[in-house]
Amino acid sequence: MIGMSENITALDKVYHGMYITVLVFLAIMLFSCLIRAVRGPRIADRLVAVNMMGTMVMVIIAVLSLLLNQGYLIDICLIYAMISFLAVNVISKVYLGVYVEKQQKPQEEDAKEAGEGGGTYGNS
Amino acid sequence: MQKRLGKEAEPMEILEWIRLILGASLLLIGLIIFFVELYGIFHFRYVLNRMHAAAMGDTLGISCSLIGLMIFSGLNFTTFKMMLVVAFLWFASPVSSHLLSNLEVTTNENLKKYCQVYENLADLEKELLEEEQEKTGRDTV
Repeated sequence: MIGMSENITALDKVYHGMYITVLVFLAIMLFSCLIRAVRGPRIADRLVAVNMMGTMVMVIIAVLSLLLNQGYLIDICLIYAMISFLAVNVISKVYLGVYVEKQQKPQEEDAKEAGEGGGTYGNS
Repeated sequence: MQKRLGKEAEPMEILEWIRLILGASLLLIGLIIFFVELYGIFHFRYVLNRMHAAAMGDTLGISCSLIGLMIFSGLNFTTFKMMLVVAFLWFASPVSSHLLSNLEVTTNENLKKYCQVYENLADLEKELLEEEQEKTGRDTV
C-alpha cells in the first residue's frame, strides 16, 4: 500500500511538472506574439497577433484551471474567447469605418471646390 | 491479502499512466502547432500570408491542446465547457479572419505590389477554366 501511495504522488509530480513546463512554453510564445504585434507594419498584422495571443491565453487559462483544480476558470476561458472575438471584430470594423470616412471627405471637398470653381467660371 | 490488493490496483495505475501519456502527447501536438503558427507569422512577409498561418492555431492548435486537457480532467462538466470553447472558436475564427482580410484589402492602397489582383472575377474564372482544360488535356494525352 505504501508503494502505491508513493506511485500516486509520483504521478501528481509528473502532472505538476508537465503543467508548469507547458505554461512556461506558452508564456515564451506569448511574448514572441507581442513582439510581432509591436513590430507589425500594418494594422491587420497587429490584429492577427492580438488574435493569436488571445488563443494562447485561452490555453493558459485552461491549463491553470486543471493545475489549481478550479473548474470555474473554464467559464473565464469561454468569456475570454467571446470578448477577444468581439474585440477583433469591433476594432477592424472601426478602422474600416474611419478609413472610408477619411476617403470620402477629400472627395466631397474636391466636389465642393469643383462646384465653386464651376460657379465662378460660369459667372465670369 | 496486501499483495493481492496491490495486484488489483496495478491495472488502474497503468490506465492512469496511459491517460497521462495520451493527454501529454495531444498537448504536445497542440504546442507544436502553436510553435509552427508562430514560425509562420515571423516567416511570411505579408499580412494575408501571415493570416494563413495564424488561422491554424485558432482551430487545430487549441482543439488539440484542449482535447489533451479534456483527457486529463475526465468526464465532468469542465470537459463539456472545454468542448464549448473549441466549438465557439471554430465558428468565430473564420469570421474574424474574413473581417481582417476585408480590412487589409480595402485599406491597402498598393495591394498589387504584394499579390495579384483581379479587378473583375470573370477573368479569374476564365483563367482557372483554361488551366483546368489544359491539365485534363495533358492527362488524356
